[in-house]
Amino acid sequence: MNLNKKNKKYIFEGFRYSTLTIWLVIVGFPLFWIIGTSFKPDAEWFAWPPVYWSETPTLSNYANVWMGKEELTVTQYAQSMQKPWKALGNSTFVALVSTSLSVFFGAILAYGVSRYQVLTEARMFQLLMLRMVPPIVIVAPLSLHYSTLNLLDTHLGLILVYFLTTLPYAVWMTKSFIDEIPMEIEQAAEILGATKWRTIWEVVLPLARSGLVATFLFILILTWSEYLLALLLSKTEVVTLPVELSKYEGSTEGRVYGRQAALSVGITIPLIIIGIFIRKHLARGFSFGMVRR
Amino acid sequence: MAHIEFKNLRKEYGSTVAVKELNLEIDDGEFLVLVGPSGCGKTTTLRMIAGFEDPTIGEILMDGKVINELEPRDRNIGMVFQSHALFPHKTIYDNIEFGLRMKKIPDDERRLIVREVAEMVHITPLLDKRPGQLSGGESQRVALARTLVTKPSTFLLDEPLSSLDAKLRRELRAEVDRLHTKLKTTFVYVTHDQEEAMTLADRIVVMNNGEIEQQGTPMDIYSNPKSYFVADFFGSPSMNLINGEIIEKNNKLAFKNNQLKVQIPDHFSNQISGKVTLGIRPEHVRITPNGGEIKDIIDLVEPMGKDTLLYFKAEAERPFIVIIEGLETNDFKSGQSVGLDFPDDKVFLFNEQGQRL
Repeated sequence: MNLNKKNKKYIFEGFRYSTLTIWLVIVGFPLFWIIGTSFKPDAEWFAWPPVYWSETPTLSNYANVWMGKEELTVTQYAQSMQKPWKALGNSTFVALVSTSLSVFFGAILAYGVSRYQVLTEARMFQLLMLRMVPPIVIVAPLSLHYSTLNLLDTHLGLILVYFLTTLPYAVWMTKSFIDEIPMEIEQAAEILGATKWRTIWEVVLPLARSGLVATFLFILILTWSEYLLALLLSKTEVVTLPVELSKYEGSTEGRVYGRQAALSVGITIPLIIIGIFIRKHLARGFSFGMVRR
Repeated sequence: MAHIEFKNLRKEYGSTVAVKELNLEIDDGEFLVLVGPSGCGKTTTLRMIAGFEDPTIGEILMDGKVINELEPRDRNIGMVFQSHALFPHKTIYDNIEFGLRMKKIPDDERRLIVREVAEMVHITPLLDKRPGQLSGGESQRVALARTLVTKPSTFLLDEPLSSLDAKLRRELRAEVDRLHTKLKTTFVYVTHDQEEAMTLADRIVVMNNGEIEQQGTPMDIYSNPKSYFVADFFGSPSMNLINGEIIEKNNKLAFKNNQLKVQIPDHFSNQISGKVTLGIRPEHVRITPNGGEIKDIIDLVEPMGKDTLLYFKAEAERPFIVIIEGLETNDFKSGQSVGLDFPDDKVFLFNEQGQRL
């Protein structure tokens, strides 16, 4: 068949949209299922044929998880399950502090690498390689040391481990944004009388802001949803949301899907809210190398 | 006001030498142009004055004091960058005000100075815009204004006009000239454009391979080049440079190659011999329709309006060019045979090392 330009375009567009549609279904279905399940009454959690959207939606899952209103028959849940708010507090505190530390020190290091070559390219790569180590490999020795240092089940312990494991990402990401800022702009500020700190504050930071915000969110998501380290380095006090979530899959209680779904939705919402607030920066920040000069 | 002096200045980057033992004095209020091809060390030299590069060896003195260890901000220097380097997130007003703020000038005074300088370089209507909204010429004016407000003792300009088109370049060149006349401060201007150097400079320093090739007034550089490099670099169209050798004929020296043979003027020494390059500027060749020492055929006539260019075929990569004044398209046609004369005092000879003989 001899395709003219117009037909070619139609075929291309058709291919594009069908690919995107398939992708959307793959990504979207689990989300739909979680949201749907969070509104299902107990009986429909395991129903067969599956109930896609409940005919009798209920808020009891949310009430139960978040308000602690135990009105269901399943009463033998461990007490630890009654504290999602505490887990939310833990998660928020640990994630915000460790992410802030990571981005702050990452940016300082990245500035040094970008402007003064404090790390060679090989070192930079090694830094990233550190992150290739599966967390399970380091968690056993780490928990040993943590127990002697009294860091097990403490906020500080989790903050430290998150800060250090995400620092390589922070350095790499912020470096690419700092590289974008022409050296001459900084030099112009300096020769006009600005000190180094003044230059960083007035010129470098504002120009790297979108990138820093994008890095912050990226690392915040990583930390917020981290499970393995949190599970093994905490016991009862510093339980984070992902760990809390996992407790709804107990060997004795079976799976409490509806509650778990309600909690999952709760975990996701803060990230979506943050995303909405900073989407202006995200669009610019995640388009590496596209900063307008 | 500042008098700048370099003493045995040398800059190395690893094994590459960017500037070799530079000795130079820049007078107070002088307009000095550093000119040369890319990689000749001119920008490195400028950046050493600014303090962005540290000399490997040697001293930089300003008004008699060594400033090697001074931070850029403490040198009382203004710099205009090739990329303009405006702060993209600040308005034009804030860009210009920046230096005053850093110098802790009081608020109301700052406002006055910004207005005054904006007026001076004709950018008052732009003050509320951002750099992204400006054209190349406008942002260069802003870059000038931003430097002007701090009243530096020395202006460093690093190819400030090279990103602009020809017309704007001429316009801003005049502006820079006007500023220098008005401010009477020291200007150090780096360019690879010989025309800019000729029109702006009090003194030109020609650099090549990290060394000073020649320095002098524009007229001196143009009419008295000390080397093949300088002769070739200045002038548009460039000097005609013909390779050949010296032969002896009737006890007199002559220049010869496959195309032509000319007497060597008497003022040259009798000692010259071997391979040489003969140079003559296009405007110095005399054309005589009949007679003349050299006979050649016009290859192409290019009327430029005020002048007419005559092209002749040459063995070199460039054609031999003659400029005659006026629009002489009636008198000269391509294919026409004419005679050429090289006036004795306008002929240059360069040896194989490129030194003038």
